[in-house]
Amino acid sequence: MSAAYHILLDIFPLLWSGLITGCLYALGALGLVMIFKSSRVVNFSHGNVAGLAAFLIYGFSSGTLLTLSWSAAVLMAVVAVIAIAFLSYAIVAPIMAKSDLTATIATLSLGLIAQGVTLLVFGADIVPLDLPLPRFSASLLGLRITGYDLTVLAVAVATIVGLFLVIDYTKLGVAFRAISANPIAAEICGLNLRSVHLFAWTVSAVLGVIGALLIVPTTFLSVTTVATFMLQAFAAAVLGGFSSLPGALVGGIAIGILMNLFTFYVSPEFTNTFLLVVILVALNVFPNGIFASTGGTRV
Amino acid sequence: MTSLLSVKNLSVFYGASAQAVENVSFEVSPGKVTALLGANGAGKSSIMKAVGGLIPARGEIIFDGAPISHFPVRERVRRGIVYVPERREIVGELSVRENLVLGGYQISAAERRNRIALVLDLFPEIASKVDRGAWRLSGGEQQMLAIGRGLMSGPRLLLLDEPSLGLAPLLVRRVFERLGAIRSAGELAIVLVEQNLRMTMRLCDELHFLRSGRIVGHKRADELKDETARQQAVDAYLGATESEPRLETA
Repeated sequence: MSAAYHILLDIFPLLWSGLITGCLYALGALGLVMIFKSSRVVNFSHGNVAGLAAFLIYGFSSGTLLTLSWSAAVLMAVVAVIAIAFLSYAIVAPIMAKSDLTATIATLSLGLIAQGVTLLVFGADIVPLDLPLPRFSASLLGLRITGYDLTVLAVAVATIVGLFLVIDYTKLGVAFRAISANPIAAEICGLNLRSVHLFAWTVSAVLGVIGALLIVPTTFLSVTTVATFMLQAFAAAVLGGFSSLPGALVGGIAIGILMNLFTFYVSPEFTNTFLLVVILVALNVFPNGIFASTGGTRV
Repeated sequence: MTSLLSVKNLSVFYGASAQAVENVSFEVSPGKVTALLGANGAGKSSIMKAVGGLIPARGEIIFDGAPISHFPVRERVRRGIVYVPERREIVGELSVRENLVLGGYQISAAERRNRIALVLDLFPEIASKVDRGAWRLSGGEQQMLAIGRGLMSGPRLLLLDEPSLGLAPLLVRRVFERLGAIRSAGELAIVLVEQNLRMTMRLCDELHFLRSGRIVGHKRADELKDETARQQAVDAYLGATESEPRLETA
């Protein structure tokens, strides 16, 4: 009885913090899935571009580049990543027309360029990036809930619900789903495929910025911080099947919780190894993801 | 009557040397149904795709007096040319209603609502399933949805590629009845690719016979009213070799 009680006392905080970090992984994974669904490209530059965005916010708000208010700095960074998303798409689109695989490899180059630019402008040092988050903590049923936790939860829920509403209930969402499922059908209906692709790339970039901003307070900001975080997001996307938005959400939360449990009960040193094992197992056991569709196209 | 569509010396190549269509020319008048008949591989679908803008082609395509060869698919749809492909290309993951929304993507929301109502009136078979996933529809219902989706943008020219393909005879008759209703409702011109000559005869005004990528004959529908004349035309223009199966004339 006592042992079980102690396990429960340990597990609830682990599940809670896993849920919080899982929401962040889900945001990153959703960005990857948005691009993959529409363009059939795995965007390996996602993490490095989001990392550059976090550095831009630091640069715009700290006086390194400009001295702006925090919200103006965020706005400027969002505009910058949207511009980068447009530029990336302009570079990748002609390659996509020839080979999805080559286009995917091209995103690796774009990621390395983004990382190079970050290094060039901001150097290799770790920098502080504080967010204006409510600073409080409260205890509830043995859980320590902080202002950061609630902010992450609120932002993630609002973002994900907003995204799902757009995808499920708007004309643009219908176009996005049509292009994902059957680009030929979308084309013969007169859709502008490029504008729908750009919608996906833009949303993905903004999701990356949100994810990057919210992950930084739990750690520090270096050139590789956000890219490493995106490894978890990648695992979440794989677990969710890489082409399912709900799958990415559930995959993100599952990865967050699993990593927390592994770190606490097994070893904090091998969490990345564990993550790679999760990816391999997921690819073998759920090759189409945990949300693999049971439906199909009847001919 | 002034042509709505004028195709002049159209040629389609796949790769560097495979020529699917060779110097094909024909015209389509407003409100008329023009059939392209031929065995598999005769180039019918290639012509349709070229006119719809889905594949590159040489030659001239003039629609409503303006050359459109250089326009992408979406501009051709905007001008009133809609292609309904032989494999229907329904988006199974979307509902029936969402497929119709997709067809009317370029029109206003109010117009789209009206057109959805019109299409569902025309095809009551899919009206009761409008919020179901399109993948759950039967083959005939999917064909009706494909045609309905094609009508959503209010086209002036519908390119219908083998609407009877893979359908049971009863469903073929039903689909053609609806096409007849569409035809008599307005000024919509149709280019119809079919292998079912008998059904085609119920609809069309003009017939072009294709063989190995070329138009080898042309008839008005009133010249082929009886079965013997139809069979003679098929034999004369298309032949009946082992590699080119005869058209279904019954």
